[in-house]
Amino acid sequence: MTIPDRFLVYLPWAIATLLIAAIVHVVSILLMPTLAPRDAFARLSAYATAAKADEKLFVLPAPAPGAAVLPYEDASVVVGVCVYDLTKGLLRVAGPVNGEDYLALSLHARSGRIFHALTDRSAIRGKIDLLIGDERQIESVNNADAEGAKPLEVRVVAPMKRGFVVLRALAKRLSDTPRARAALEAISCARQEPPKD
Amino acid sequence: MPTLEPYANYLRAGLVVLIGMSLGFALTLAALRSGYGFNPLEVGPWVAWPDIGGPDVDPYARAVIARSGEAPLAKEQGLVFVARVDSTGATLDGDCDYTITDPTPPTRFWTIDLAAPDGGAIDWPGGRRGYSSVDVLRRENGAFEIAVSRETRPGNWLSPGAARRFAVVLRLYDVGLDAAARPDAEVFPKILRRGCA
Repeated sequence: MTIPDRFLVYLPWAIATLLIAAIVHVVSILLMPTLAPRDAFARLSAYATAAKADEKLFVLPAPAPGAAVLPYEDASVVVGVCVYDLTKGLLRVAGPVNGEDYLALSLHARSGRIFHALTDRSAIRGKIDLLIGDERQIESVNNADAEGAKPLEVRVVAPMKRGFVVLRALAKRLSDTPRARAALEAISCARQEPPKD
Repeated sequence: MPTLEPYANYLRAGLVVLIGMSLGFALTLAALRSGYGFNPLEVGPWVAWPDIGGPDVDPYARAVIARSGEAPLAKEQGLVFVARVDSTGATLDGDCDYTITDPTPPTRFWTIDLAAPDGGAIDWPGGRRGYSSVDVLRRENGAFEIAVSRETRPGNWLSPGAARRFAVVLRLYDVGLDAAARPDAEVFPKILRRGCA
C-alpha cells in the first residue's frame, strides 16, 4: 500500500469526524439559550417567586460579592425588573419619568433577545406607557380601538410569551440612590385583560 | 485469539463519533470563552459588544449571555466597555496600582467601576461603588484621575480588594457614538500602570 492509498482509506473517516464535530458544535450553540439553567430569565423568575412579585415590579438589591442576582450590572444603577407571562394577559408598563435623570427600559424575550428599548429621553410627554402582548393580543387591542382614535400607549409585539422587563435608573451620586429607587417604584407593571370581542 | 478484523469498521465508526463529539464540544467551549460572538468594538484597552444589545444578536452571543445570566444594556441605551488589560496591553493585576485618566467620549452620563472577571461585584468591605461623570472629583479644567489600588489613595480611588484579577468597566449612557465607525482611542480613558507591590 502506497502512502496516497492509505490517505484515501482514512479520508472518509476524517471527513466524518469533522462533520460530526461541526454538527455537535452548531447544535450545542443553538440549544444553549434553551438549556442554560442559570440564564437571566431563570435567575429573575426564581427571584420574583421568592419575593412574591410575579408580574409586579421589583427592585433588585445592590450587587453584593458572590450574591448578585444579575452579573455585569452597574453599581451606580438601581435595577427594577418585571417578569411577565403573556398567556395570562397583556402587560402594561406605565409611569412618569422626569427626563433629567437617566432611566432606561428594555424588553427581553425569554431567550435573551432585546426586542424593544428606550430611555427617558425618548419618553413621550414625560411618561412611559407601553402595552406588551403577543401578535394576536395586540391585534385585538388595535381592532377594539374606535375608528380614527389614536392610542395613547406604545404597543409592542413580543416575540415570545414569556420574558422580562428591565428598568435601570442611574444614581449619579451615592446620595441619589433613594431618588433613583423612587423613580423606579413610580413605574408600574400590571396585567391587562385583552378587550372583549 | 479471534481477530478483530471483521469489526474494524465498527471500531472506526465508534472512534469517529467519539472524537467528533469531543471536538465539537471543545469548539463550543472555546467559542463561549472568546467573548460575545462577532463584531467586538475595540478601542485601546476597552472592548464593547454593541450587537448583544439589539434584536439581531447572533447565536454565539446569545449562547454566551444565556450561560453568564446577564441582561445586557440595549444598543440605544448606551454602551458597556470592559477593560481587562491596561493601555499597554498587559493584563490588569490586583497587585499593581493604576490610574484611570480622562478624557471620556461625549455622552450624557458615564460611570466607571471595577468588576470581578465573572461580572460579579468586587469583594471589598466598605467598598465604594464607582464613579459617575457627575460625582467624580475633577481638576479646574475638568480633567480627572481615578486611582486603582489596594492602598488608600486621596481623591478618586477604587480598590480591587483581595482579587488578583479584575476588570474596569466604563459605561456610556445615552452615547452618540457610532458603533459602526471606529471610535478614536484618543477620546477614551487611559489605564496607566503605576507600579506593583
